[in-house]
Amino acid sequence: MGGDVLNDHLLSVVTLGPTVFAVLLLFIPMRWKQVHRVVTLFTSIVMFAISTRLWTGFDPNLPGFQFEEKFAWIPMFGITYHVGVDGISLLLVLLTTLLLPVVVLAAWSLDIEHIKSLHITFLLLTTGMIGTFVALDLFLFYVFWEITLIPMYFIIGVWGGPRRIYAAVKFFIFTMAGSVLMLVAILYLAWFHHQQSGVWSYSYLDFLRTAPLLPTTGGMFAPGLLVFASFALAFAIKVPIFPLHTWLPDAHVEAPSTGSVILAAVLLKMGTYGLLRFNRALLPDAWEKLAPVLMVLAVIGIIYGALVAMVQPDLKKLVAYSSVSHLGFVVLGLAAGTQASTQGAILQMVNHGLTTGALFLLVGMLYERTHTRLIDRYGGLAGVMPIFTGIFLITTLGSIGLPGLNGFIGEFLILAGSWAEHPVAVVFAGLGIVLGAVYMLWMVQRVFWGPVHITANHGLPEINLREIFVVAPLVVLVIWIGVHPNTFLEPMEASVRLLLAR
Amino acid sequence: MLTPTHADIVSIAPELILTIAAGLLLLVEAFLPRFRRLLSGLTMLAITAAVWARLSFELPGEVWAGMLRIDQLAAFVDTYILIAAFLVVWMAGPFMRRSDSECGEFYALILFATVGSMVMACSVNLLPIFLGLELLSIPLYVLNAFLRRHEVSVEAGLKYFVVGAFASAFVAYGMALLYGASASTNLVEIGRQATELGFLNPLTAVGLAMVVGGLAFKLALVPCHAWAPDVYQGSPTPVTAFLSVVPKGAALIVLLRIVEGMHLLQISPRWVLAASIVAVASQTLGNVVAIVQRDIKRMLAYSGIAHMGYALVAVIVSGFDGGTAVLVYLAAYTLMNMSAFACIAQLSEREDRPHLISDLSGQGYNRPVAALALTISLFALAGIPPFIGFTAKFAVFRAAVNEGFVWLAVIGVVNSLISVFYYVRVIYVLYMRPLPERKPDYGFSLSICAVASVAALATLLLGIFPTAVLAAAQSAILGLVR
Repeated sequence: MGGDVLNDHLLSVVTLGPTVFAVLLLFIPMRWKQVHRVVTLFTSIVMFAISTRLWTGFDPNLPGFQFEEKFAWIPMFGITYHVGVDGISLLLVLLTTLLLPVVVLAAWSLDIEHIKSLHITFLLLTTGMIGTFVALDLFLFYVFWEITLIPMYFIIGVWGGPRRIYAAVKFFIFTMAGSVLMLVAILYLAWFHHQQSGVWSYSYLDFLRTAPLLPTTGGMFAPGLLVFASFALAFAIKVPIFPLHTWLPDAHVEAPSTGSVILAAVLLKMGTYGLLRFNRALLPDAWEKLAPVLMVLAVIGIIYGALVAMVQPDLKKLVAYSSVSHLGFVVLGLAAGTQASTQGAILQMVNHGLTTGALFLLVGMLYERTHTRLIDRYGGLAGVMPIFTGIFLITTLGSIGLPGLNGFIGEFLILAGSWAEHPVAVVFAGLGIVLGAVYMLWMVQRVFWGPVHITANHGLPEINLREIFVVAPLVVLVIWIGVHPNTFLEPMEASVRLLLAR
Repeated sequence: MLTPTHADIVSIAPELILTIAAGLLLLVEAFLPRFRRLLSGLTMLAITAAVWARLSFELPGEVWAGMLRIDQLAAFVDTYILIAAFLVVWMAGPFMRRSDSECGEFYALILFATVGSMVMACSVNLLPIFLGLELLSIPLYVLNAFLRRHEVSVEAGLKYFVVGAFASAFVAYGMALLYGASASTNLVEIGRQATELGFLNPLTAVGLAMVVGGLAFKLALVPCHAWAPDVYQGSPTPVTAFLSVVPKGAALIVLLRIVEGMHLLQISPRWVLAASIVAVASQTLGNVVAIVQRDIKRMLAYSGIAHMGYALVAVIVSGFDGGTAVLVYLAAYTLMNMSAFACIAQLSEREDRPHLISDLSGQGYNRPVAALALTISLFALAGIPPFIGFTAKFAVFRAAVNEGFVWLAVIGVVNSLISVFYYVRVIYVLYMRPLPERKPDYGFSLSICAVASVAALATLLLGIFPTAVLAAAQSAILGLVR
């Protein structure tokens, strides 16, 4: 790779690079497990290093898309390969590239079959996720969106727990169920754009001009509302918004912990990102009409997720339901639609990725040691594994929104931004925060405090150096965002302002 | 008396090459049986020559006194039929050798059927269409029953014969009525009269219904689909592959020519309604019944019924977008099916037993190449990007939405969703189930594996870079819609 390619096609390199390396891995013999690990880790670190140039080269004062690349792809339909990042997608892209080396390192010690395929699927998945965040052509977006399904299906189904096939198929069908109607909506938008302008295009920037013209009056079946609903269904299943969340606990529990990390940290964000990028920006009138529905569902999700999490006997399931609750906050922030709440929601997407990602990693480490995830099989681990306990505690506190850590900033911005217009929702959401503290701290109490009542747990090994390296970047960011959130809020401010102005 | 001109002869060079080759193959079989192993190679050579002839000679347009139209559309359809035949023959060699049934007649019959479908697709006149249909069908009756020591194969041949004869009778009677109504056997003339009239007179309507009904048998559209599962299951797998794409392609092109020529979308709301019902019923029945199949060939038969339902949507929409979508769909469907059936031929122990999906357990790691090719073709059939199956469905639904058939697009995508269920099930059996105690004894054939890999790779690459196929389809369809 010459310097020029890197400068001119930085975003494409970041997006498609992992796939190129995945193809390379195909040609390395299956037996050489260590080579696969090293090559994938190397790839992911290089990819992260390259992606940091997006951060350093990003001009926070420009609201529009940067690092844009545009080529004709299927010219007869007006489809282009068009990518770019703005302040909204920048953080999500970096979150994805950061998590890849983390999960590769986390999976290092796993003595499982088919290491080669695991790494290939992770690399392909990364391309799909980054592509979803940077695509500026709706056809391209749809392709990347759907591509993520296949590797995740294999990750859950091949390397998952005992009910993995059920969970994998459920994941596949649910997500696909959401996205097929989105395809029709995209086709409809393209047709409408052609009606309005006489040009065939699937470009996001073109749709920004014509899609808001879709009529939203005239009853439930107004085209604008139907298109909105088609997009919203796809994203709501992915987020997942109550009551479409039932695939999530199954997928999380059965997926291997590295898969859960990617699923929780990035894949779910594709849903909230889509809501903001497409539903909010393309269909502002319909958004105004239907945002209250989203808000009600978000608040129900916050409280429901927290209540269900509270009674879970299984650590992973607890964290999974806490995701439903946390993403309720994100949707609430988006639905309220003020500058502060939206920025808070975007930051909260990153926060959730960091804390829940770290929690799944830590739970995975516990599982590797004890081969159980049941909370009552632990107890008193603080005395056995003090460093591990410390890290776990920081992450938990970040997750429940202790001031000084990341969750506080996100939730505060969301609630403060929503307060003026929607005080009732904020009150209920505030209740969700309290419940969140309850189930998380209760879980910590049962796992780490008290006496060690399972004798085998006396000999649990402390977190090792590799594992510290795995979670360290996440914990550092948890604290960094808590202490100095402006580093992350500034780049998105102009883009959010532009998007909300439409 | 028609005296063929030079242009007439040259225009059917590919058909002539294949016919002569078929005759030679029979002679080789009769006099030099020692060289039997070379037969499939020779057949492939002949097909390559035919492709070369079609692509390098100029396309004269109407020839043989307006019977055939050799234009871009003919070139597109011929090329894809020939590619399908090439892949079939490539995998048939080792397959027939393994089943101890290899002989020259097999390849000759394949070539005759290929010529028949090419004639059918190039005709703009009812007579050569019928000739092509028969030339296509009769060899297939024999080919289905080619493994004559296996009951299922004989059953398939007999079923296809009975149903096929029935369908031919329908088509012939319908053509007679069309001729009676318009005093012409020329599709262009029949179409012009219908368009000028602005509606279908009763005689034309009945004739049309019978012709379409007969073609629907070939396409295995609901309610003419019942033969498909048994015939697919019983035929030798390469023949199933041939049967699943070539006759369907030829029949769809004939249908498209009729629909486009008569402007049925504009003049006959009743046709639109009836065809929509058939399309929706085919998709729904095909996909729902496929879910409960345990034999993968039967599953693909039902999936084929559903796929022709999608393709029929594009025929209904017709016009430039719809026509393009039909062609792209055919090209995509051919590649996906070839790859899938090659994989089935590869992952098969005995031909007289069902090819149970559960027998594929754990083959993802035991036979990685064939399993990967099968996975790719199934994801493609399910319409998941970045494979060409997605591009084809995209083209179909795009055409439907652009013509105002949003509801057909919605039903189509919902059906795609249903189909995901059974395609994905095969994939989890391949990769997520352990190998059984008794490992199935699958033979290995480089040629079959090559067919599977080439077709799967094409499915992937053309899915990512579909421009060439789309451009070819668009310029081909321009000659039809003008």
